[in-house]
Amino acid sequence: MIPSRRAFLTGAAALSAAVVTPDLVRAAQAAAAMPNWALATADVEADIAPRSLRLVHGRAPADLSGVLFRNGPAKFRRPGGSARHWFDGDGLVRRFAISDGQAELTARFVDTRKRRQETRLDAMVMPGFGTPGDPRAEIGSPDDANAANTSVLMAGDRLWALWEGGSPVAMDPVTLQTDDYVTLRPDLRAMPFLAHPRIEPDGRIWNLGMGGDQALVWRLSPDGTLEDASVIDLPRASYVHDFTATARHLVIVLQPWVRERQTMPFADGFAWRPETGTQILVVDKADLTQRRIFETEAFGFFHLGDAWTEGGDILFDLALHRDMDFAARGATEVIEGVPLDGEAARLGLIRLKADGSTELTRSPVIAEFPRSDPRRAGLSRRLSLHTTADSPDTPFARAIAVTDWSNGQTRTFDFGPDHVVDEMVYVPRPGAPDEADGWLIGPSLNLAARASELHVLDIAHIEDGPVATWRADVALPAAFHGTWAG
Amino acid sequence: MKALIAAAALMLAAGPALAQDAGADVTFAFAVGQPTGHIMVALFDSEAAYRGEGAPVRVARLDVTGPTAIALFEDLPTGTYAMKAFHDVDGDGEMATNPFGMPTEPFAFSNNAVGNMGPAGWDRAQFVASGDVAQTIDLAH
Repeated sequence: MIPSRRAFLTGAAALSAAVVTPDLVRAAQAAAAMPNWALATADVEADIAPRSLRLVHGRAPADLSGVLFRNGPAKFRRPGGSARHWFDGDGLVRRFAISDGQAELTARFVDTRKRRQETRLDAMVMPGFGTPGDPRAEIGSPDDANAANTSVLMAGDRLWALWEGGSPVAMDPVTLQTDDYVTLRPDLRAMPFLAHPRIEPDGRIWNLGMGGDQALVWRLSPDGTLEDASVIDLPRASYVHDFTATARHLVIVLQPWVRERQTMPFADGFAWRPETGTQILVVDKADLTQRRIFETEAFGFFHLGDAWTEGGDILFDLALHRDMDFAARGATEVIEGVPLDGEAARLGLIRLKADGSTELTRSPVIAEFPRSDPRRAGLSRRLSLHTTADSPDTPFARAIAVTDWSNGQTRTFDFGPDHVVDEMVYVPRPGAPDEADGWLIGPSLNLAARASELHVLDIAHIEDGPVATWRADVALPAAFHGTWAG
Repeated sequence: MKALIAAAALMLAAGPALAQDAGADVTFAFAVGQPTGHIMVALFDSEAAYRGEGAPVRVARLDVTGPTAIALFEDLPTGTYAMKAFHDVDGDGEMATNPFGMPTEPFAFSNNAVGNMGPAGWDRAQFVASGDVAQTIDLAH
């Protein structure tokens, strides 16, 4: 007898239902305990086709036109095994296009070798930042494990999806179709490329690729072609997710979370050594052998603001963490729905003085994802945009803020407990040179409406809330970083 | 991860294949990305030798002048084998690496097996030659 297709499918479903894996049990336990913000790390099952967003508040500024690209993990769980850490989900690139008062959303997963392998096995098998990996994983290159999930960069006419342990992945910026892994020179194949390039106002791109106590310094022209790649030695094998730069210097902050073992998951190789303090390496862009090392107290961090100079001093702001417990442990709890007991990051300002000393100013303001005016990158500025919150109870922000370093004041708009607020970008008003004359643009996840929203706020009147809000008919999880293409 | 993958760098010696008694013919057709240099091929008949604790039973050094290069190992005794190859694209006799020690010239194993942060293990690369065997191996990436 030849079984019918229906009988076969029914049988297959019964068979899979009978296989209760530890993963399924963990998932069920976690789901039962999940707070409502679990939507922020939920799975997206398929690409999001282009769709219009519905204007639900205000109206878009008439002279606002451009595209916000964002990237973040959006697939963590598969029947045969799941990612264990927020940083290890598959990158979903979101494209929010604004023009003529309308907004449109498209989102597509980066078509990585990792995702193809895991789709075939219907299991998340790749080791990552906090995921141990599965023996079935096939990894012949770091790019085989590349989740392409952290940020995006416009490089000429291509959009690059960035990770930090492997190559950029090039995409079409309109269709979000994936092209290929970017090899900038044959001998630099599969070299790491951080998700936090620093872009000079003229478009030149600086970045690092981390390799223990060495870093590759990338210098690219605005169209994404390689100008230089040089290896520099570092005083310690610190975890570096981000660096910063002035017009003349690269500033590499070396926190006391130091790689001591080559192991997987990646984070397990690091140890917190607060007694060794934080080192800050300053390298001359024009001559990478010219360097100074500053020292300051121990702190953890992921993100720095653009740096600038005052006289002979170098200044930059940052989101100060007490330690790197979030990286080592908290981001695993986030995707399992377990409440955090950690400390929220706070805003800080570091001044590297011409005399070689360091001054660290700690603000009580909760802050992450600092951004600023891209026209002033590496140059004098006073405004810093960042997410914030009025309590450290969740790992996600619900408010957005602008801090003015000229007077130390922070102005905030709180979207309320129903919102998970993503990083927002600075968008200058066309033709307006004043730093305060521009917009903050970014999404939130409305947990009550179970929908993603896109907001535009006026920097000069941030506390009044959005001047325009659009709502999507889909809920996309929290993302990490983005860029504005005007 | 990097050290493990760097350890995958293949150290292959070139030499002529030795004729043996009639047996299995094993053919590898290598698909390459660039028509330059050489492909270094080593065939092993035991897990220990494949791991580096012994010599290959056959080796070949193929000139690459087009999109495909063929390695033919004739008259092999019936048995279990595994193969390692790399494409020396620039013809300098060494497997090129990036500044952090990762291979930048294409390498491959029999069955097109891929390792798990290292060279493909014997368990993934092994194949049985009890008659003639032909495999197409991807060295284009």
